[in-house]
Amino acid sequence: MLKLESINVRFGGLAALQDVSLLVDSEDMVGLVGPNGAGKTTLFNVISGLVRPTGGRVLFNNIDVLRKPLYARARMGIGRTFQIPQPMHELTVRENLLVAQRFGTGSVNQSKIDEILDFVRLSDKSDRNAATELALTELKALEVAKALAIQPKLLLLDEVLSGLETAGKRQFMQMLSDLHWRFDVGILIIEHDIETISSVCKRVCVLNFGKLIADGTADAVFKDPEVIKSYTGESGA
Amino acid sequence: MKIRFLLPVLAVVYLAIPYLWGGNNYVMSLLVAAFIIAGVALAWALLANLGGMVSFGHSAFFGVGAYLSALLCINYRLPVLAGILMGGIGAAVASIAMLPALRLRGPYFALAVLAYANIFKILAMEFKGITEGAAGVTNIPALPTVMGFDFSSKLGTYLVIVTIVLLFTGSYHLIRVSHYGAALKAMHDSEDATRVVGVNSTLLKAMMLFVSAFMTGVVGAVNAHYINFIDPDYAFDLGWTLLPMVAVVFGGYRTLMGPLVGAVGIFMLDQLVFKALIGTGHQIMLGAVLAVMVLFSPDGLVPLIGDKWKRIRRAQA
Amino acid sequence: MFDLILQATYSGLLSGGSYALIALGLALVFGTMRVINLAHGEFVLLAAYIAYTVESQMDWNPLLALPISVVVVCITAAIVYLLVTRLDKNREMNSLILTFGLGVILTNLVLFIWKADIHSTSVGWFQEAVVLGPLYSMRSELLFFITSVVMVAILWVWLDKSWYGRAVRAVSSNRDAAKLMGINPHVTELISFLIAGILASFSGVALYCASVIQPALGNALTIKAFIITILAGIGSIPGVLIGAVLLGVSEALTITLLSSALQELTGMLLLLFVLLALPNGLFGRAGRRG
Repeated sequence: MLKLESINVRFGGLAALQDVSLLVDSEDMVGLVGPNGAGKTTLFNVISGLVRPTGGRVLFNNIDVLRKPLYARARMGIGRTFQIPQPMHELTVRENLLVAQRFGTGSVNQSKIDEILDFVRLSDKSDRNAATELALTELKALEVAKALAIQPKLLLLDEVLSGLETAGKRQFMQMLSDLHWRFDVGILIIEHDIETISSVCKRVCVLNFGKLIADGTADAVFKDPEVIKSYTGESGA
Repeated sequence: MKIRFLLPVLAVVYLAIPYLWGGNNYVMSLLVAAFIIAGVALAWALLANLGGMVSFGHSAFFGVGAYLSALLCINYRLPVLAGILMGGIGAAVASIAMLPALRLRGPYFALAVLAYANIFKILAMEFKGITEGAAGVTNIPALPTVMGFDFSSKLGTYLVIVTIVLLFTGSYHLIRVSHYGAALKAMHDSEDATRVVGVNSTLLKAMMLFVSAFMTGVVGAVNAHYINFIDPDYAFDLGWTLLPMVAVVFGGYRTLMGPLVGAVGIFMLDQLVFKALIGTGHQIMLGAVLAVMVLFSPDGLVPLIGDKWKRIRRAQA
Repeated sequence: MFDLILQATYSGLLSGGSYALIALGLALVFGTMRVINLAHGEFVLLAAYIAYTVESQMDWNPLLALPISVVVVCITAAIVYLLVTRLDKNREMNSLILTFGLGVILTNLVLFIWKADIHSTSVGWFQEAVVLGPLYSMRSELLFFITSVVMVAILWVWLDKSWYGRAVRAVSSNRDAAKLMGINPHVTELISFLIAGILASFSGVALYCASVIQPALGNALTIKAFIITILAGIGSIPGVLIGAVLLGVSEALTITLLSSALQELTGMLLLLFVLLALPNGLFGRAGRRG
C-alpha cells in the first residue's frame, strides 16, 4: 500500500533522512523505532506531506503522492497523529471529528463518529472544548480519533503513548491492538520504548541518524547488534 | 442569530425607523451612509473572523463594484438590480487577482492587498476609454421605481441597503455554523492539524475572500447608484477600508452584530461629533479610536458589553 | 533613445538609493519585532515637514532641521514602540491595526499643523544641476543618494561590529535563543525603533530638499518601503539596497518609456512577480514567510 523509495531529506547541510526505503501493507502494523533525532517524525512528515523530500518517491496504492498537498493525501486515506497533540482549537471534541470526517471523506456520518468516540473512550467528553478542557490521555485519544474520522487506509501514529502514566498506557495499548482490525487500517507507529513496541507490533523498523538500519520481526531486530549499539549509545543518542 | 433577537431587530429596522424618520431626508441619508459602511464592515469582519485575514484593500472591491455596475448600466442598459449583482460578481472576480497573496500570512497578506487596492485605483485612472479616467462617471442610473414605490428616494435606498445588509448577515451566519465555518475556525490556531484531516485551507480562505469581495462589491454598486456619480479618488478611497475597519474593531469582529453596531455607532460619531468639532482632519479621531480599541479592548465593545450583561444576569440569578 | 534609457537608469538608481534609506527602518523593526510599522512613512513625513518649518519660519537651510527632526521623530518612534509593546495578544495582526491607526493620527496632525498644501524647498542650491558626462541630476538627488549609501554602510558596520548591533541581529534571527544568551529583547527592539526613527529623519529632510511633500505622502512611502522589504526578503541589508534600486530603476524606466501615471503600477507588478515567483524574496532566508 505505502511504498517509500530512497527518501532523502536535507535541512540545510544536515541529512535528516538518507535513502530510506520502506514497504507497508494494508494488513501491517509496523513499529518505527530509533533514538531521538533519528528522523522518525521527519519520515512521517514526508509521508503526510508536511515536508517535501529532496529526493525519492512516495507511492500510495501505486500513485505517486509527492506532488499532492497535505489535504489531498488525507483524502486518499493517509491519517496521522502528532506527537504533541494538536486539537483543532475553538471546537468541541465532536466538532473536531465532524470536521475531519466531513473534509476527509466528503460526507458526514454521525453513527460512525459515535463509534469512534466510543472506541477511544471519549463518548462522555464529546461536548468538551478540545483545546482547553481535556487531559493529556484524552488529547492523545482525540488525536487517534481525528485520524480515524477520515477513514484512513494507513494510520501514522507518532508517539501516542509518550507522556502517559502506566495505567493509561496499558489501556491505550489495548486500544492500539484492536485498532488494526476494528477499522481495517494499516498502521505505522513511532514509539521510543522498545518493550512497548515489541508487545504491539510483529514487525519493527529501526532508524538511526536518518538511515534505516534494520527491518524485520521484533525478535530478530532487537537482537541485531547494530540496533543494540544504536540504543546503548555507542554511536547514537 | 436567535429568533427572539431577530424579530425585534426586523421590527425596528423595517417599521420603527421608517415610521419615525421616513420623511426626514437628513436622518435617512445618514442611515443610508451608515449602512453602506456596515455592509463593508460585515464583509471585512467575515474575512477577518472566518478567513483569519486582515485586509487593507477592501476599497478595491468597493470601487470595482461601483464602476462595473455603473458602466454596465450606462453602456449596456442593464437594469440597475442586475448591475448591482454584476458589481458584486465583478468584485469577486477581481479578488482572483489577489489569490497569490493568500500564500502570505498575517501582515504580508494585509499589505499585499493594500498594494493591490492601489493597482485598481491606478487602472481606473488610466483606462480613460472605459472609465472616463479622473473625470469620473456621471449620470449613473438611480435605483428603480417598483410598483409605484420609488427606491431611489432616501427611504427607498435605506430599505434596499438595509435588506442587503441583513441578507449578508444571514449568509455570514449560515457560513459560520456550517462545516466550513467549523473548519475555518479550527484553522486559526491549528492550520496543520486541520490540513492533515483533509481540509484544503487555501481553497477555504479563497472562498471567504470571494464572498467578502462579492459583498463589498454589491455595497459599492448600491452606493454608486445612490449618489449617481463616481470618480477613482472617491470609489477607491482608502476611507472605504478605514471606516469599516474602525467600525469592526470598535464593535468587535468575533460577533455578527459587532460590525453592524460598530458601523452605525462610529459613523454617527464621526459625522455628528468629530466632523462638527474638528472639521478638516476629523479622521484623526478614527485613528485614535482604532488605536485605543486595539490597545484596551481588542475584541471590541460589543463583546465587552455582552460580558458585563452576562455578569449582571448571573448576579441576579 | 539610448541616452534616455541611460538617464532614466541613472535617475532610478539615485531615487532607489533614497528609497533604501526609507525601507531600511521598516525592515529593521520588522526583523527584530515581527511588527510592520505602518506609521513609518509618517515618520519620514514628519521629518520633512520639520525641515519645511525650519526653512519657512526661521529662514534657515532645511538641512539644519536634522537635529530637531531626529529628536522629534525618535520621541514619536519611542511612543509608537511603547504602545506596540502594550499589545498582549495576537500582536502580529493587532500591531498592524494599531500602527495603521497611529499613522492616520500622524497624517492628520500634519494636516492640522501644516494644512494640505504642497511644499518644496526654495533653496536654489539644491535644484542646481550636476552633470556627469551624459548624465544629469539635481544636487539634492545626488546628496540624498550619497546620504543614503553612507547611512546604510554605517548601519551595516554597526550591526556587524557593535554589541548592540549583534544583539539586534541575534534577536532578529532567533528571539528565544537571544533571550537565553542574556540579551534583553525589549532594549533591542527599542533600539531598532530609534534607529528607524533616525533613518526616517534623514530621509524626511532629504525628501523635502529633493522633492515635493504633502500630507498624503506618508502612506505611499510606507507601501514603497514594504514592497522593497518584500523584494529583499527578510533579514538582508544588501537585499534592501538592491531591492530599492531595482524599484527605483523600474519606476524611472516606466516613466521614460511609458507614462508617469504608471509609475506606481511598476512597484505593484514587481511585488506581484516576487510574491508569485520568489516566495522568499530576492535574498531572504528560506521559509520565513510561510
